[in-house]
Amino acid sequence: MNEIKKALERVLLRVQKPARYIGGEPGSIIKDPAAVDLRFAFCFPDLYEVGMSHLGMKILYSLMNEKENMWCERVFAPDIDFEEIMRSQGIPLYALESLDPLKNFDIIGFTLQYELSFPTVLNMLDLAGLPVRAAERNKITPLIVAGGPCACNPEPLADFIDLFLLGEGEEMNLELAECLIQAKKEGLSKEEFLWRAAKIEGVYVPSFYTVSYHENGTIKEITPKAPAPAQVKKRIVKDFDRVYYPENFVVPFIQTVHDRAMVEVLRGCIRGCRFCQAGFIYRPLREKCPGTINTSAKALCSNTGYDEVSLTSLSTSDLTTLEPLLNEMLEWTEKESVNIALPSLRVDNFSKSLLDRITSVRKSSLTFAPEAGTQRMRDVINKNVTEEEVLRTCRTAFEGGYSSVKLYFMLGLPTETDEDVIAIIELAQKIVDLYYHLPNRPKGKSVSVTASVSCFVPKPFTPFQFEPQDTKEALQRKQRLLLDTVKTKSRKITVKYHDSVTSRLEGALARGDRRLCAVIEDAWRMGAKLDGWDEHFSIQRWTDAAEKHGVDFDFYACRSRDYEEILPWDHLDYGISKSFLMREHEKALSGLPTPNCRQQCAGCGANMLSGGGACFG
Amino acid sequence: MDNGFYTVRAFYRKEGRIKYISHLDMNRCISRDLKRSGLPVWHTLGFNSHIYLTFALPLSLGYESLCDSFDFRLTREMDLEMARKQLAAVLPEGLTVYRLAKPVEKPEKIAFADYDIFQEFCKDAAIVQAQLKEWLSRPEILLEKKTKKSQKEIDVKPLFTLKKLEEQGENLFLSLRCSAGGTCHLNPTFLLDAFAAETGNPPDWARVIRTAVLNDAGEPWV
Repeated sequence: MNEIKKALERVLLRVQKPARYIGGEPGSIIKDPAAVDLRFAFCFPDLYEVGMSHLGMKILYSLMNEKENMWCERVFAPDIDFEEIMRSQGIPLYALESLDPLKNFDIIGFTLQYELSFPTVLNMLDLAGLPVRAAERNKITPLIVAGGPCACNPEPLADFIDLFLLGEGEEMNLELAECLIQAKKEGLSKEEFLWRAAKIEGVYVPSFYTVSYHENGTIKEITPKAPAPAQVKKRIVKDFDRVYYPENFVVPFIQTVHDRAMVEVLRGCIRGCRFCQAGFIYRPLREKCPGTINTSAKALCSNTGYDEVSLTSLSTSDLTTLEPLLNEMLEWTEKESVNIALPSLRVDNFSKSLLDRITSVRKSSLTFAPEAGTQRMRDVINKNVTEEEVLRTCRTAFEGGYSSVKLYFMLGLPTETDEDVIAIIELAQKIVDLYYHLPNRPKGKSVSVTASVSCFVPKPFTPFQFEPQDTKEALQRKQRLLLDTVKTKSRKITVKYHDSVTSRLEGALARGDRRLCAVIEDAWRMGAKLDGWDEHFSIQRWTDAAEKHGVDFDFYACRSRDYEEILPWDHLDYGISKSFLMREHEKALSGLPTPNCRQQCAGCGANMLSGGGACFG
Repeated sequence: MDNGFYTVRAFYRKEGRIKYISHLDMNRCISRDLKRSGLPVWHTLGFNSHIYLTFALPLSLGYESLCDSFDFRLTREMDLEMARKQLAAVLPEGLTVYRLAKPVEKPEKIAFADYDIFQEFCKDAAIVQAQLKEWLSRPEILLEKKTKKSQKEIDVKPLFTLKKLEEQGENLFLSLRCSAGGTCHLNPTFLLDAFAAETGNPPDWARVIRTAVLNDAGEPWV
């Protein structure tokens, strides 16, 4: 028996939710390690429940396991209780399928979904028994790679990761794996391999670039070592309708955050909301055909046994074929008691017939995102919805039997005034009033409106990448203003808000540069990990680490940038041109909206990723 | 057939790493297995329609079993051996359905369950064996039992019979028959944890296997 398996037998009943750590779930893939050329560990730097909800992992896991010569396994961060036992008993971090130690893998790939997970990446490397700094790992394997949305500014992790994968992984991951198999056969050194890998489109090797700084702390120059390209372009899948999609998922034993079948229906977004990083970095928009989506959904439900399937994307109601797709799907979902979930609906195209379709089996919750309280503010952020549309949508929902809705807002948006903040509660109150004025509202039920208010964090590759983030004092004052306003209004309104302290750290990491590597490492050495969880987060470690290295988080989070300033991610090409972001930023400050991509092309540059020409028509 | 369905009782074994999944997880897992099996499974008719599934005697997290069961319903009568094969084919590693049958007895008829327990100590098993033997043979064993509402002291002595206690290599082996189901259910870990706490003998490692579920006549419950 495998050593780790034996050790687990002795400790697992002492930890919370041991099923997180055992593997063996239906749909998990077991191969003979002697019969494969490459072993890939897909690492999610958070707990099992969070990582197992991640669609990207499911896609890349199945894709890689389709290849006979590769075996992809899953690895998650252990919770604090299990980590203590692992460290005291000398159990190294292992992969869930084989229970083999992580350090024996060929490629260890992290997905970077949010900035606060960065120290967990280091912790997982350390738990595997590997040096966290790339320069201290001399062998070609295990190769440490990372991708995902936060790889669009990977500089704060540049010292730890051997190479970053920019953009979509379906083709790039396989090319990288084949490249490594070949390199191992030829006996290449790590350095020789990295030069070869850097030729794969989308691969960014941070050690091939040096960064110099001005005295004021801004970047002077980013210099590539020849022959590394001056700019690394992100990778996209051009024929999205025919891209690989799994027919089966690993079905977890324990309940996870999103525990259901998911089908990705489109990639990219036409909206161009100016705060939304995903809306820019996943461009251009590509849709799947209804037949493709329906076939995937049906196969997934029958192979996994899930009774819910979600149609996943950044904005599912923007799928041009949504109505015919739902009709096609309802033919089997109703019969098989399968619920269809539409997680990303917009208020400007929500209809009675859509509502009927999603509630035909089981009623799911309704959430909309007006993002701001006033029309002026919504114009600044280019959230092209009107108050009338918000109210009409709520009316449709109430008339359809709903008595509670949840609304997402942001605090601390550029140009925001107190009037804009108060208007969030006023909008919620208008929805409450609307409910009580409806003659056909659900009988005998009181209304509940939840306003979930997060703190705005400016992100790279958005028009707000030049903007300062609100200071934590300003955000805290606005949060109090919100709560004071709701007190005088109604008990039907619940306000939920996010911690401004973590938002500032997130802001600093999001737009940070390589000087943050040392800060992240020290914060981790002082105990930072699983920082997305309030119970594990402590700002003190970060403040101490920053102080030690003379770093001021406000320099990264709360500083306005000139258009001329070289930004830490300027050598990465996500298809979105800087001049487009500047234009959009100017329009934002003048309160001018930009039509969506289907109405009029705004010239962002993403069409060049798919070879030029128009994205539509 | 009554009410448009046929109730079926599935007897299964739960062995190996799947013992780490809780009863609630088990419920969700079997429900999805039933759906995956493609069997004509009956769904409840309520507002939140779901697969009808009920377990007669839930198994604690960490226990293995050679004889557990759940009831589900089919919408039409079919060959149960064929149905068993269909279900067995989609079960995860460690779960084995070995028999499908029409239920004979109601869950209330369950009176006892047998357990094989292996424990390993960092000291000589013979010493612990002697202490355990003495402890278990006391005329009464009063233990604090916490319920959701209150805490009360009960005598668990009448709730079990020690069938065997012996050294097996480095392990201590016990075979226990415990009262099961209803209000006088005794979990063997509850008993052995109390012994460990009282005498300072926490096992280094333990394995518990439920080996039989019995009715009040001491016959296998079916």
